[in-house]
Amino acid sequence: MKIGTIEAQPGTKAYGAFKSGETHGRFDVHIPLHLIVGATPGPTLVVQAGASGLEIEPSLILPQVAAELDPAAITGTVIIIPLMNTSGFEFEQITSIWDDKHLNQLGRGNASGTVSEQLIDQYYRTVIAQADALLDIRTGSQWSYHRYASVYAAGAAEQSQSLALALGLPQVVLEQPADHSIAYEAARDGKAVVTAFIGGGPGLRDFREEDLGRIKNAVLNAMRHLKMLAGAPAYETASVQVLTAHTVLKPQGERGLTFIHTSKRGLHLQAGEEVGYVRHPFTGEVVQRITAPREGVMVHAGASWPLPPEDEVLAILGDLKTVVTVP
Amino acid sequence: MKVGQLQAQPGEHVFGYLKTAASRSGLSPDIPVHLFAGAQPGPTMLVQGAIHGGEIIGSIAILNFIQKLDPKTIRGNVIAVPVVNRIGFELGERGSRLDGKDISRLFPGKKNGSVSDQAAYIYFEEVIRQSNVMVDFHAGARTAYERYVLFSAEADPANLTDLEKMRRKLVVAFGLDQAAFFPPGTFGNNAAKEAIDGAGVAQITLEFGGGTGWFKNGADNVRDAERGIWNIMKSMRMVDGDFESDGPLCTVYNAGVVIWKPDVDGLFVRLKAFRDELAPGDVYGQLLDPYTGEVMAEMKTPKAGIVIPSGQEWPTVGATSIGILGTIDRVEDRRTTDLYVF
Repeated sequence: MKIGTIEAQPGTKAYGAFKSGETHGRFDVHIPLHLIVGATPGPTLVVQAGASGLEIEPSLILPQVAAELDPAAITGTVIIIPLMNTSGFEFEQITSIWDDKHLNQLGRGNASGTVSEQLIDQYYRTVIAQADALLDIRTGSQWSYHRYASVYAAGAAEQSQSLALALGLPQVVLEQPADHSIAYEAARDGKAVVTAFIGGGPGLRDFREEDLGRIKNAVLNAMRHLKMLAGAPAYETASVQVLTAHTVLKPQGERGLTFIHTSKRGLHLQAGEEVGYVRHPFTGEVVQRITAPREGVMVHAGASWPLPPEDEVLAILGDLKTVVTVP
Repeated sequence: MKVGQLQAQPGEHVFGYLKTAASRSGLSPDIPVHLFAGAQPGPTMLVQGAIHGGEIIGSIAILNFIQKLDPKTIRGNVIAVPVVNRIGFELGERGSRLDGKDISRLFPGKKNGSVSDQAAYIYFEEVIRQSNVMVDFHAGARTAYERYVLFSAEADPANLTDLEKMRRKLVVAFGLDQAAFFPPGTFGNNAAKEAIDGAGVAQITLEFGGGTGWFKNGADNVRDAERGIWNIMKSMRMVDGDFESDGPLCTVYNAGVVIWKPDVDGLFVRLKAFRDELAPGDVYGQLLDPYTGEVMAEMKTPKAGIVIPSGQEWPTVGATSIGILGTIDRVEDRRTTDLYVF
């Protein structure tokens, strides 16, 4: 199998940078990736992370996962991208430094667009197009903390839902709204697609090892589910909540120090129940109560740090569809 | 009492903005100030947060504190400043982007300098200079986590000045189980701290909490920070009551071992936790290649020491200290220490 200049024969693996071009200062525009080709043919799974230059914890574990996978023992092909946005990582920002584009908001890219749009265009046509399944790993950056999987209603939704359930996370959110992500485009193309939201800066001190374990487990579980690895998926909880999200709360109205009741995650909230509140940063006065517009279960998702950026998800509420008891 | 154009009569609480300077666009980073003029005379305590704009745990504690503070029941005055650096607070940054300066390093400030220089001058003259005690909250911003009282090294520990004796008591009175001082020169000169000392103000700095521990520990950090403010008021005899603390002991570290980022860069992984004891050459952390996981560098301690509750945790690091080690200078026992400074 060959991706750009990266080539691996059955039963081997390779690492390299998939390059789409160069900037005007002649810096490479590229995506580093691991290509692991199983000894026997089978499905192709793409695991991508770090489309934001501030969602970098997966790169602490995905290279290790790539190193530990034995191509002789797997069926099919795994492509692992630990950190897609190399320039954002370099300059500690969400978007690419080259053109200020968010790599995961460019759809399937544009062959004649900016350098990031060209990169995503080539990445989509070369890597994603040949995938059967995509696991897009996101984190909470420096402001949020998450533990759930999400799937779109588009494309092969049932396969995506099955894959999401297999990841081992405590919650699965269905019917993720359409957006401009790579994952959404892949879902529209009929691939099994899951976005796994795991970890984030506010939990880094206390849950780093736990969350890196979750990421590793999610990758291995996805491979087990797709019959690429022997064995059954491993779960951290005895059951998985499956929800459809009906409310995504973002900063609106007053700004200030924003406190979300993260201890309510996983619980059923009544309509009108307080989800959080905003305090004036200099007087301490509560200037806004954030309440649930309708009843629902709070997803293990959203902001934690009291000064979230504009448009950051504060909390997600959904209807509980079912609770799946895991094997 | 009077701070700039703000004035409070005995028994009053007044809130307003201390006028500073204006930038080229007319942006004025005027400083939000609460004045609590006690009904009875006494000393003045200044408690301030977010002079480094992203370090906000103390700010939240101050907001909780002022909601309970009744000026009619206190002796002396309280000046509470939840956010000193409004520009940094707005942008989640340490300094002020108006002029790229770190206000905490500018005291006593300059009357005719840049916007931050002028703000530092006005703040120093109006706020700091009329305080007896200054409680200065810092934290780990979004990328680190800390939990200790920091104070300036003493010139001659065998012959403490009155100000140094007072500061020792405040350090213990605050109520944390750990404190530290940096030997002179560890982080270069700090003329600002010397200016505050020169004004006769006993200053303690709280390195308290941080973003990487917020999800689990944020509420506890805020609670204990507020507890410490009340303890300082008790130490100053501004309110009555028993001291509350982590426990009876406060370990004071001579924190002279700083681990810096090496020349190469990558993903930082901290391997040592608070209170771990390291021998010379022990590895404190690693830098990994973000794409292959290869170990690019190991950060070893040049000297033996105990990891003080401080340090970087977010995986990318700038040109900053990554970890600090210390040796135990002394252990203070609150049960046998006089904690009152007035």
